[in-house]
Amino acid sequence: MASARMGEMMVSRDSNEELVALGLGSCIGLAILDRTAGVAGLAHIVLPESSDRADQVGKFADTAVPELIARMRSAGATERRFETAIVGGARMFEMSGGLDIGARNEAAVRAALSRARIPINAAQTGGSSGRTMKVAVGEMLVTVREAGQQAETLLEGRAGRVAAGAGAAR
Amino acid sequence: MTPSLSETQLDALRELANIASGTAATALSQMLAREVEISVPRALALPPADAVDECGDPEQHVAGVVVPIQGDIEGMVLLLIPHEQAEILCALLGVEAHTEVGDSALREIGNILATSYLNGLGAMTGLELEPSPPHLHSDMLAAIVSTLLIGTAGADDLALVLDSELDVSGDPCSISFLLLPTSGQISDLLAPLGLADPSA
Repeated sequence: MASARMGEMMVSRDSNEELVALGLGSCIGLAILDRTAGVAGLAHIVLPESSDRADQVGKFADTAVPELIARMRSAGATERRFETAIVGGARMFEMSGGLDIGARNEAAVRAALSRARIPINAAQTGGSSGRTMKVAVGEMLVTVREAGQQAETLLEGRAGRVAAGAGAAR
Repeated sequence: MTPSLSETQLDALRELANIASGTAATALSQMLAREVEISVPRALALPPADAVDECGDPEQHVAGVVVPIQGDIEGMVLLLIPHEQAEILCALLGVEAHTEVGDSALREIGNILATSYLNGLGAMTGLELEPSPPHLHSDMLAAIVSTLLIGTAGADDLALVLDSELDVSGDPCSISFLLLPTSGQISDLLAPLGLADPSA
């Protein structure tokens, strides 16, 4: 298991690897898959705007999204095959004067993906609960789980796809 | 950007946390009619991702009581109580956990502990520190801590966390007690001790 902590991102083509972002609150987890190339990436994005800071590219939506795309490409992935899922952006505390960082993070990640012309295939965002996001690289399966809840599938694994394909062929 | 803190400054912050959490432990002890032990506090100035790791298992289900601070410095006091231990704490107070009354009891514990902690801190530094009404949220530890640290540290490279552990004797019940000062406020906390300058 490889953990993408706040501001970190990772790309893998190791079929035994699982990428995780544990306890996303107002942060956003962005997963990108290229099933054909067998490449998966995960970024744990913390804030919407880098304000032209060049360091910590993984921390800010406007720099992290292009960087994750670039690293996917370097690992052999192709943009037109990308499938993406986003998780997080919760508003966990209703505190006076507190800006809703979660919603701003989500909007910034969506805007950055849209600039790169990459669609979002699945999302579990907003609300008031923290979430853990997992990407099983071998299976190409993306799941999300809230505290005390069962995991839910966001992007279906290979097995699920094959089964669905077989059903459709009958 | 938060400047890195010297060992002397971290020692001073640790000592502040030690005395202030002692005051909080006394208040908890009176409320529960039990002995309460405090661990040696830690003063951590770390990148936010490391600070979250230092607070415990990221996916542990905890009750978080947040008490924003008003007055001479901004920041918040955070109590983290593991889910099962919140039930023990409620039982000690004679209320049922996960009910309206149970939640209100946890907020009240947060309120009383934060008030006594801030009183302790104020007495040593001469700062006016008042607690705002508490918020309760049950969730994964990392989700709570990371979201709050983003609020206090913003885009800074370092987050400051003062933490201590309060253990209620006779039951497996402990509360993590954290002070998260908003960045830029740390020198205000150190100035009354004559340690505002990082070269001190």
